[in-house]
Amino acid sequence: MKRSAKLLAMTAMASLLAGHAHAEVTVLGWPGGPEEAALRAVTEIYNAKADVAPENKVELLFTSRDGFFDKLQIDLAAGTKAFDVNLIATYSIGKYAPFMEPITLSGEAETVFGGTVLKTMQYEGAQYGVPTDLSLHFLYVRSDLIDALLADEAAKARYSEIAEKHLGEKLEPKNPQDWTWKDFVANALYFSKSVNPDSPTRYGTVIQAKNLLFNMMVFHSWPRSYGANWMDDQGNITVDSEAYRTALKMAKMLFELGATPQDSTSYEYAEANAAYSSGQVAAMVQWNAAASDLKGAQSATVSFAPPAGPDGRFTHIHGLGLGLNKASDNTEGARAFLSWLSTEEAALAYARAGGAPGLAGATAGKLADERPDLVQVGDYASNYGFVMNGGTSQNALSVYEAQAKEFTGYWAGTQDLDAAMTNITASMTELLK
Amino acid sequence: MKARMWTRWVVFIVVAVVINFPVIATLVTAFKSPGEVSRNPSLWIEAPTLENFAVVLTISDRLNIYHYLWNSVSAAVIGSVLPVIVAFPVAWVMVRRGVGRGLLFPLVVNLRALPLIIFAIPLYMMYAAIGLLDTRFGLGLILAVVNLPLSLMLLANAVADIPLELEEAARMDGARLPRLLFKVVLPLCRPALITTFIFGFITGWNEFLFGLMMTSRDAVPVTVGASFFFATSGGGVQWGVAAAVMIIAALPPLLLGLIMYRRITGSMVAGAVKG
Amino acid sequence: MTSRKTSENAILLSPMVAFLLAILGFPVVLSLVYGFSETTFQTLTSPSFSGLENFRDVMNDAAFWKAAWFSLKFGVITATLQCVLGLAIAVYLAPLVRQHGWTVAILIIPMIVAPAMMGLMYRLVLHEFAGPIPHYFYSWLGWSPSFLGPANVFSTVVVAETLQWTPFAFLLFLTAYNQIPTEMKEAAAVDGTRPWRRFLKIEFPLMVPTVFVALFIRFIDGFRVFDNIYTLVGAGPGGATTSMSIYIYETFLRRGEIGKAMAAAILLFLAAFLLLTLAQRLVGRRAS
Repeated sequence: MKRSAKLLAMTAMASLLAGHAHAEVTVLGWPGGPEEAALRAVTEIYNAKADVAPENKVELLFTSRDGFFDKLQIDLAAGTKAFDVNLIATYSIGKYAPFMEPITLSGEAETVFGGTVLKTMQYEGAQYGVPTDLSLHFLYVRSDLIDALLADEAAKARYSEIAEKHLGEKLEPKNPQDWTWKDFVANALYFSKSVNPDSPTRYGTVIQAKNLLFNMMVFHSWPRSYGANWMDDQGNITVDSEAYRTALKMAKMLFELGATPQDSTSYEYAEANAAYSSGQVAAMVQWNAAASDLKGAQSATVSFAPPAGPDGRFTHIHGLGLGLNKASDNTEGARAFLSWLSTEEAALAYARAGGAPGLAGATAGKLADERPDLVQVGDYASNYGFVMNGGTSQNALSVYEAQAKEFTGYWAGTQDLDAAMTNITASMTELLK
Repeated sequence: MKARMWTRWVVFIVVAVVINFPVIATLVTAFKSPGEVSRNPSLWIEAPTLENFAVVLTISDRLNIYHYLWNSVSAAVIGSVLPVIVAFPVAWVMVRRGVGRGLLFPLVVNLRALPLIIFAIPLYMMYAAIGLLDTRFGLGLILAVVNLPLSLMLLANAVADIPLELEEAARMDGARLPRLLFKVVLPLCRPALITTFIFGFITGWNEFLFGLMMTSRDAVPVTVGASFFFATSGGGVQWGVAAAVMIIAALPPLLLGLIMYRRITGSMVAGAVKG
Repeated sequence: MTSRKTSENAILLSPMVAFLLAILGFPVVLSLVYGFSETTFQTLTSPSFSGLENFRDVMNDAAFWKAAWFSLKFGVITATLQCVLGLAIAVYLAPLVRQHGWTVAILIIPMIVAPAMMGLMYRLVLHEFAGPIPHYFYSWLGWSPSFLGPANVFSTVVVAETLQWTPFAFLLFLTAYNQIPTEMKEAAAVDGTRPWRRFLKIEFPLMVPTVFVALFIRFIDGFRVFDNIYTLVGAGPGGATTSMSIYIYETFLRRGEIGKAMAAAILLFLAAFLLLTLAQRLVGRRAS
């Protein structure tokens, strides 16, 4: 009796300690969603390897998505030892680089990911992270609505009429893969009750325009296709350009004419998707991550690359990845894990578990059957992907934030376009000097 | 009088529904399936389900709601009891002897106007050095600082309300200071002490930013833990699950309010009879 | 006698002072240093002294004054609304509450929901397609106001804050009202004084100190508003809903201008100090 009690107590003690006894490399990952599931899967594979010493096994740590980067900033700046490896994103590498150390990737990395994708994790020429997930934007369109429009002569005439009235051009309805931004706007107006009372949907599109940096990324493909950039090669700030002005004005027209929900200056990802899912929105530009949700809610949804402009077709890309905390106590173990994470074995496992790595041709080909969406993402990234000049600099995050403030202010009518341009030029000059 | 009570009930119901509307909507949402949340925005539930609550209560691979609840309870108790203990004697000294009125009182009370999170970095470094980081005790101490201004204000107000004659009578009977404070003043302040404790507990319970910054695993409070659930499917907010976790997270302070309220009413009625 | 009193006072004050020094001593000193230095996240351990530079920066920042104005407006409006409503509800419902104590528990529910979560809930409740309020507007009137659009966002956050925190004022007033000796109320009732007159002449004057306390607390809380606005609409389009706390938070964490954020906090603290001291003088004079 006594013995079994003793045994029980010992087992209890052991189980209490078990969680921490073996895990010596702590990884702070992106919480929730496919990124977490994928990271869990590859970690299990890694920890099961015979040549990984007990003190180098990996334990995962997840915190909140809300305020994630604010917390990371405090953690890193205060020299935390709570984790050895942490999440970084293309737009925040510069901000966190001073508290991190460059890493060495495996020999295969170049062929697995390709140079463009590896670049999303580089800062001032050094590799700061293993790229794990790639994010870009799709144009989501309700094909049922477009098909009906294309089959109806009266509707087509009405469409051209609306386009002529608001855009000065007698545009014809087109298939979404051939859209320019003008077609996007014309379509948005045609499918809005405020412009076209017969519209089957209440709004033609939804623009998420809450004062939030991520919303600026979604918007960026638009001015870029008119030739916009943050700075030229000499480092002059070029945000006050015809390209930015044109795109901002076209978007503003959608707000003013009621082609996007009336509250959309307070919308972010969740609200915009809810609006689209309700069936009252005809088309939208949104993150590729929304594909399954949107297609699940509106089964006629088809996704394309974002519309084109005079300078071509573009999609803003950024990567998530994992890098090394400078204050780490176990840099060796952490480096070993990161190096393995950049092998083909890890990348394939990561993709199979639901992650969205940006993979180069040959590696992506091995997944063509299981993850055709990754092929599409890889395809769009290499053909249309861009990062603005200065988009990985130390203050890139703050640039997006400043733009969010000024551009949403213009759309909401708290300031005019000239004021927005003056303000954003001033802040970007300060931030990117 | 009877007729008037009837109109009071009507007013009560209207007020209760209006101020609680977001909570009612949350409660309704918590019983809708994900599909229904996006399809049916009305307050009528077509097919009530416990699925959302099941998700919150049973996910345990890394999200452990019970652990977060326990963390919040311990931190909020420390964070609400400690300020009452340290502020009570100060409140008395300030009101009765005028000590610290000019400097200490405004110094402490105005802490409430500051976003205290600006102290996050030095606090973080200090906590890391003495091992308080990611502990319930450490978080509780910070919550105590957050609560101190309001506690001091409410207790000073309560002490000022005590009729001076009662204290003087006790003094005449030869009561020394400790006896006076603990046997006379303290019981008279009981309703205020309880109110202060409840306000402090609720404030501590609801705090988000310090909970986020100062914990990472062991001491994560429920406000932060709740936000883990919002994105369990990735990306968007899972409204049904979010609603369920919010309801669960609001239950402990609600329970406390319900239990403690009897004591407040009891004391108030007693006070009224005596007065 | 006096020396005993002095030592007694010291003993009574010391726990709180020691506690504050232990937790906030180091952070406050370091923050003061940061306030007078050029400090970023990279130079936390080596701030370079820059005199009053940060204070000049803050004073010349239009966004700072905009945030101060927003907070002031928000604090005054919400505090007034909450106190008027809270007082009216407390006095009118007091007889009901006396008989049925549980009704209070119903009325204080909004307070116990974390403001950050309340903000999130409003995102759902007010959503044009997924929220019940616009849903009923559309189905009953065929139209719905744009609650979070640029024109209405200020009113919406004011209403949200008022609905959540009126219970706080209500609870304070209810306690104060119930502490008024019953004989005074009954004597007036026997005299045949009308309820309104009775309230204005007898009860309200007795509650004035509580009114001041409630107004002050609600004003401070409205002025420093953060969580609910931040989750609901962020800093607002063009920064339209940037409160003082949001301004300081963003300057500190998002822009990493630690010195400037500290300078803003120091200015805010000084202003609050001045305000409270003045208020105390004013109330003190009235009382005497």
